[in-house]
Amino acid sequence: MSKSPDFLVASELRKSFGGLLAVDGVSFSIGKQEIFGLLGPNGAGKTTTIRMLSTVLAPDEGDVVIGGHSVTRESDAVRKLVGVCPQELALYPELSATDNLVFFGRMAGLSGREAKSEAARHLESVGLTERAGDKVDKFSGGMKRRVNLAVALMSRPQLLFLDEPTVGIDPQSRSHIFDTVEGLRDNGMTVLYTTHYMEEADRLCNRLAIMDHGQLISLGSPQELKAEIGDPEEVTLETVFLELTGRSLRD
Amino acid sequence: MLRPVHIALLELKLFLSNRAELAFSIALPILLFALMYGALSSDTEVFTPASVVDLDGGVHARELVARLDSLPEVEVEERTEADADSALDRSAILFAVVIPDGFSDALEAGESAPLVFRQRGNGGDTGQIVAAIVRGIARDMATDARVRVQTQRALAGSGVPAERIEAEVGAQLASLRASPPVAVEVLRPGEEPNDESSDSLFSRLLPGLIVMFVMFSVTLAAQAMVEERRTGTLERLMTTRLGVNQLFTGKFLSGVMRAMFQTVLMLSLAFVVFQPGGALEFVELLAFALLAAAAFTGVSLVIGAVARTRNQAAWAAVFFTLLMVVFSGTFFEITEGSLMHSISRATINAYAIDAMQNIIGRGEHLGQQWLEMAVMAGVAVVGLTIARLLFRITPEGR
Repeated sequence: MSKSPDFLVASELRKSFGGLLAVDGVSFSIGKQEIFGLLGPNGAGKTTTIRMLSTVLAPDEGDVVIGGHSVTRESDAVRKLVGVCPQELALYPELSATDNLVFFGRMAGLSGREAKSEAARHLESVGLTERAGDKVDKFSGGMKRRVNLAVALMSRPQLLFLDEPTVGIDPQSRSHIFDTVEGLRDNGMTVLYTTHYMEEADRLCNRLAIMDHGQLISLGSPQELKAEIGDPEEVTLETVFLELTGRSLRD
Repeated sequence: MLRPVHIALLELKLFLSNRAELAFSIALPILLFALMYGALSSDTEVFTPASVVDLDGGVHARELVARLDSLPEVEVEERTEADADSALDRSAILFAVVIPDGFSDALEAGESAPLVFRQRGNGGDTGQIVAAIVRGIARDMATDARVRVQTQRALAGSGVPAERIEAEVGAQLASLRASPPVAVEVLRPGEEPNDESSDSLFSRLLPGLIVMFVMFSVTLAAQAMVEERRTGTLERLMTTRLGVNQLFTGKFLSGVMRAMFQTVLMLSLAFVVFQPGGALEFVELLAFALLAAAAFTGVSLVIGAVARTRNQAAWAAVFFTLLMVVFSGTFFEITEGSLMHSISRATINAYAIDAMQNIIGRGEHLGQQWLEMAVMAGVAVVGLTIARLLFRITPEGR
């Protein structure tokens, strides 16, 4: 698949915490309407990279340009373009699903009426219309994950960061999230997706980057990555991943 | 522009949705108020019963009973002689004052008037107290009567009408009672000489309690911020179009709102029951409490900006609260001019309590508390600014 014009360009990103170099000279680009997978073992630097891309962390060195705006110099403009679905369930459990979505919608600059209508639309898209008025802490893990995703969509982003959105949920919820992400891509959204599930990455992502020890060690389509170590029809993405990052335990 | 208000409303919604916390927030001020009411009421409810048998029934006998009954610490129980004897026999009472027949006539004549104390043993503590009080009243009455009689006798035949002598003597005696040669003032612990406050223990306790409630919000607001950091909602908010200034303004508003919730409850109860002032004092106290809430919320945001765990936030808030309470003399008097007094000037509590005491204890107005108001506003602004700067250098800060 040919790569569309770049919507995100990361150049030589570096970030350290104390003496620990978490991200070490990472560069990549993501085309418009592409689902880009960022893979790596725990501690590889994926989440730190996403936090820099989403303006939460300032890089020590390097820069990222999203939709023509620099995250270091034009973070306000960048935040209008991105939506973040963090790895943790960043929700207010005492509030209903609708109240969570409306609140984050207001924070994203929507009017009260817009926020309510967007909340209803996104709750429908993640299959939670029936439970819209229920408190989030009464939801199952999968339902919470879907609310977490719906909140990220409230800002009407052009680029969506999904940090392990399917952790700990059942196959039905996972399948629903896949369908939602593919639907978003088909409607013009660009997605950066991190996951530990290789079959997810293989199914969803147009291109993948594999990170380890803060560095980007491989980049290409799933087929290209598989071809690096054998016959793409026989090699799995998991084999590629283990080949590139090793089999030693990381946690 | 409305984002800070939405943040404050969200926190209010979260507060109201947590029924256990809400119930505790309402119950705590009510409970503390009940304790305060009990502590203050016990001061005035101590009284001494005095059994009196009036066998005379004359003007001076009735005056003696009336004067005795007018004392707030004495409750007169009038009995018949037989009833008093029976009660003494049964030890139902240990002491009774008997005003014999002829008491009024003797006083009227300027002679020594008889008075009888009937008692079991030494009459008990209350009997001795009543005996002392009755002796004092009777002595005053006898002195008055003798002055009248002797003046009448001295001026007899002088041509001055008896009515004029009586009126002049009466006026002099009234003047003497109004300005006695020895003026005795009763002071309770914590009260100062010539303190015009009728209830200075209350006026010290109430501001202290209000400040304590406002300080509770330091812990809660700091912990709320840490909790948001833990759950990731704070970081998520930072990826929206919300600015850090807006975030802190919202947190500031919600902190003030939370602090005022219990303060309004406490203050309302206190004003309804103790009536330390009118509507103006209530509004002025509330307005100052709002400023104090702003100051303490500023501090809580500093703690919330640097603390990484709920425990860190709780300990920092507890440490701050202890420092403030111990060094400000929140619930005890500090002698002016002492080293402790100088140290107390470095605490927020001292200024907050001073201002509130001035309003309810000394009848001053809010406008006269400019120094205290300036301190509160200054702490709020400095706290908010420092919190904002500290947040900027933390990983979540932009």
